[in-house]
Amino acid sequence: MQTTGLTVRKRIATLFFLFTLGFILLGSRVFWVQFVRGAELSEKALQNRMRDVPVESKRGIIYDRNGRELAISVSADSVYAIPAEVCRSGKERETAKKLAQILDMDEDQLYQRLTRVSSFEWIKRQIEPEKSKLIRNMELSGIGLTEESRRYYPKGTLASHVLGISGIDNTGLEGIDYYYNDLVGGTKGRIIIEHDAVNRPIPEATHKFIPPVDGANLILTIDETIQYITERELDRVFKERKAKSAAAIVMDPATGEILALSSRPTYNPNSFSDYPVSNRRNFAINDVYEPGSTMKITTAAMALEEKVVNAESRFFCPGYIKVGVETIGCPDKKPHGSMTFAEAIEKSCNVAFVQIGQKIGMENYYKYLNAFGFGKITGIDLPGEAAGITVPKERAQQIDLATMAMGQSNAVTAIQLITAVSAVANEGKMMKPHMVKQVVDNNGKVIKKIEPQLVKQVISPDVAKELCVMLEGEVTNGTGRQAYLEGYRIAGKTGTAQKVGPDGKYMSNENVVSFIGFAPSNNPHLVAIVVVDAPKGSLIFGGWIAAPAFKEIVKDVFHYWEIPMYNSAEIEETKEKVDKILVPDLVNLPLSEALSLINSRGLKAKINGSGNIVWQQTPKASSKIDRGAQVIIDMSPLEPKKGGEITIPDLQGKSIKEVAKILADLGLHLVPDGYGLAYEQSPVAGKIVSNGSVIKVKFQPVGE
Amino acid sequence: MRLKKGPPDFILFITVMALLGIGLVMVFSSSFYTTYVQYGDDYYYFKKQLMWAILGILALIVLMKLNYLRIKDLAIPLIVLVVICLILVIPLGTEAKGAVRSLGVGSIRFSPSELAKLAMVLFLAKTMEINLDNIKSFAKGILPFLGLLVLICGLIMLQPDLGTSFVVAGTIFFMLLVAGARWSHLTVIAFSGIAAVAVAIAIAPYRMIRFIAFLDPWKYAQTDGFQTIQSLYALGSGGLFGMGLGMSRQKFFYLPEQHTDFIFAILGEELGFIGVFVVLALFLLFAWRGFRIAIKAPDTFGSLLAAGITVMITFQAAINIAVVAGALPVTGITLPFISYGGTSLLFTLAGVGLLLNISRYSN
Repeated sequence: MQTTGLTVRKRIATLFFLFTLGFILLGSRVFWVQFVRGAELSEKALQNRMRDVPVESKRGIIYDRNGRELAISVSADSVYAIPAEVCRSGKERETAKKLAQILDMDEDQLYQRLTRVSSFEWIKRQIEPEKSKLIRNMELSGIGLTEESRRYYPKGTLASHVLGISGIDNTGLEGIDYYYNDLVGGTKGRIIIEHDAVNRPIPEATHKFIPPVDGANLILTIDETIQYITERELDRVFKERKAKSAAAIVMDPATGEILALSSRPTYNPNSFSDYPVSNRRNFAINDVYEPGSTMKITTAAMALEEKVVNAESRFFCPGYIKVGVETIGCPDKKPHGSMTFAEAIEKSCNVAFVQIGQKIGMENYYKYLNAFGFGKITGIDLPGEAAGITVPKERAQQIDLATMAMGQSNAVTAIQLITAVSAVANEGKMMKPHMVKQVVDNNGKVIKKIEPQLVKQVISPDVAKELCVMLEGEVTNGTGRQAYLEGYRIAGKTGTAQKVGPDGKYMSNENVVSFIGFAPSNNPHLVAIVVVDAPKGSLIFGGWIAAPAFKEIVKDVFHYWEIPMYNSAEIEETKEKVDKILVPDLVNLPLSEALSLINSRGLKAKINGSGNIVWQQTPKASSKIDRGAQVIIDMSPLEPKKGGEITIPDLQGKSIKEVAKILADLGLHLVPDGYGLAYEQSPVAGKIVSNGSVIKVKFQPVGE
Repeated sequence: MRLKKGPPDFILFITVMALLGIGLVMVFSSSFYTTYVQYGDDYYYFKKQLMWAILGILALIVLMKLNYLRIKDLAIPLIVLVVICLILVIPLGTEAKGAVRSLGVGSIRFSPSELAKLAMVLFLAKTMEINLDNIKSFAKGILPFLGLLVLICGLIMLQPDLGTSFVVAGTIFFMLLVAGARWSHLTVIAFSGIAAVAVAIAIAPYRMIRFIAFLDPWKYAQTDGFQTIQSLYALGSGGLFGMGLGMSRQKFFYLPEQHTDFIFAILGEELGFIGVFVVLALFLLFAWRGFRIAIKAPDTFGSLLAAGITVMITFQAAINIAVVAGALPVTGITLPFISYGGTSLLFTLAGVGLLLNISRYSN
């Protein structure tokens, strides 16, 4: 028998060695793929197979400082398509036709979207409930409905620039809704399903439901009533004077809380697309203007703080003053003659203020300009704040110092000026202006509390108080007489400033008029500013246009706050009346709301028992009691007593979820009808029913 | 000549049966979803593969029992049959995925190139044994075989089927190596082969694109890099223990050819590196037993034939796994014993039958 040659056997052994090596290399390669790159590859593979369906979160509610709703979310159904599923049913045409009919859309366009290579297509967002019912009943394959929430601003144009707008994707686009979008918007949820390559869900696939996190609710510093008053006055001056734009801000000087903020022209955030985009500009914080004489408040503060003047310092005004080669004059070059510092403020004498500016000096002037926050943003929690413009220090000439001292050359925003003047009203302490007081979750728990923030002690308390008195003189005797309000001590300053035209020169025919002031001047509760850009008509002066609006705002706010007038017989009488207070109806209100009602009326509360809802109250609603008297409220026990009697609360204007929660807490059953906000209920509010009764509530969509 | 007849190589047999078993399970696991969607029958491919496996085992037994001395006589008729079939397949074959590779009617398909590999090995073993004394001479000992290589590969390339040509060429090369060809000659042949492959890639635009996509699959993720990337996704998802048998995700229409050329990727995804390691080890075990049979064969023909069959199967396995792991461009060859494919399985098992036949006469 012939045996295999040695060479052949050697070669076979060599070959086996080569193959072994080859397999080891292959094994290493696979090992590398599976271990070194495994995590990355499997993640990518998973992403590749996942199909997302978004689940919208509900935007948080925006309340005013007293818990009144300024922005809410209402839900509506949206129609979407999963094109692959539609195509699989083979009824693309039919589906397109049916949907086009119901939704009033173009059939061919719809057909194209239904057959697109895409895993998910929105057909129409936020449709009417009847249509959503029709579509639901047709059970079209590949067509689905999902509840989406939509922003609704129940007060319409009120505080539109503050609240902002929200787009269809439930994101804030402007205002508070934009600035706090991360907080208010919540987090979108997702339904993730693993699909095969032709878009069918895989059997035993990975399903993930990431529930949406609803947005947090904001409690603003805005007071709806004050906002309303402010807007009413602003509207009037804006319309009467056919102004280009206008703004008004009311601020609490002690805390920096903005009580009202409004700009004109305005818009309705529910239908913002019907208005010019320019209407959405928030003049109060987005735009700068040359403040004019209102700026003299800060100049005066600097001079007093630096002790270059005192109340009795004398100035002489021949009608004009020369600064270098330039001449600066008082209006119409009318001489004011000899006057004290306090009188210079009352008369708003330019010549005197040029002299005061010169006494302060360039270095000190800029030190205080900076300290008062000019030329930089205040940091208010609204988007797009302008920084203002100051003459660069290194370029500033004597003439710049002179004009800056009387309020020209620098440009400020209304929010900057009111923040600076608030320092004067608040014993020299400048507070950071802010819009949001608290962030609360859906259970009423406070997530975040925004504390007043001191920016700087700009001037000493004594100087601030002294200046307050002088500014009061401006209103009683000076240019601000139109702001004088009987029974209250008001301090303030008018401003009428020239505008810089497009050519860089001052315009002869357009002015910015303004009034800034605070009251009561001995203990300021509020600072307010009214700015009107390019008003028309006669008497284009801050004292004649802005001051009256300011006065009306302060008058009504003080009535609303029930701030007593000082020293007059009639006033005493009024006070007596005011001090008898109507007890509000608290039954069935949540505790927090009840407490805020009691506090806002100057009453005290005594709480008995525990629970969330007021069960009964003593004295009864509508009885009259003394200011500061006690209202006893009994909280409903968690478990209502057997056969217990329940007073049906007023549900009007509440959403289904809220109604459901309120009734559930009371142990009542809800039979809802319709969708949107409650407008009718049976039995009616105030009726007493037994535990477990059925309450029928009709809802209707808002804005329709 | 009288030969002492012993029992066949039991370890080799068990190894092959293990691979075959794994293959059947994986064919079912990787194909049930797609066949259910396409044909409404989860077992569609599994049933066919099972039938071919049974036929293959029958062929294995027949060839194992065949008189060893009669094997040699098969070489000439088979190679003639192969050449005829390869020529016939050009006008008569059925087209699938851009290439004409099989003959037959209805669902009974026969791919001549699968038979070609086995027939080639048989023919080479016979002729090389006769020509062994001239093996050191390039003109007399090597050139005739290269001529044969060019003929067979050329015919297969007409289909076109670069992958199988590559396996055939590789097998011939390794058999020349075993037969004792000079290393210098082998080096020249290897480089010529690489050059030939380069030319084959350069002249066909689709191969060129595939090659470029191989170099950077992520750049061509949606086109020519798609298969490689989906394959890497599958392997990469496997980790150490895999996602579990039947739990592959990539088989849901993501990875094309998931039950044929890329079945190893699904195996890696479902059974993890453990599964990969077991399969690699089984192939290495197969190579060891195969080469052991070759070394112990009763004559040079037996040695060459056993080595040839072993090389043919393991080389193809290595190429397939390299493709799946993204280390070689996509060529379109199957994983022996495991991939779905009737003719391939039948002739691979037939080859194993011959190996076992030789093992019975080892000394």
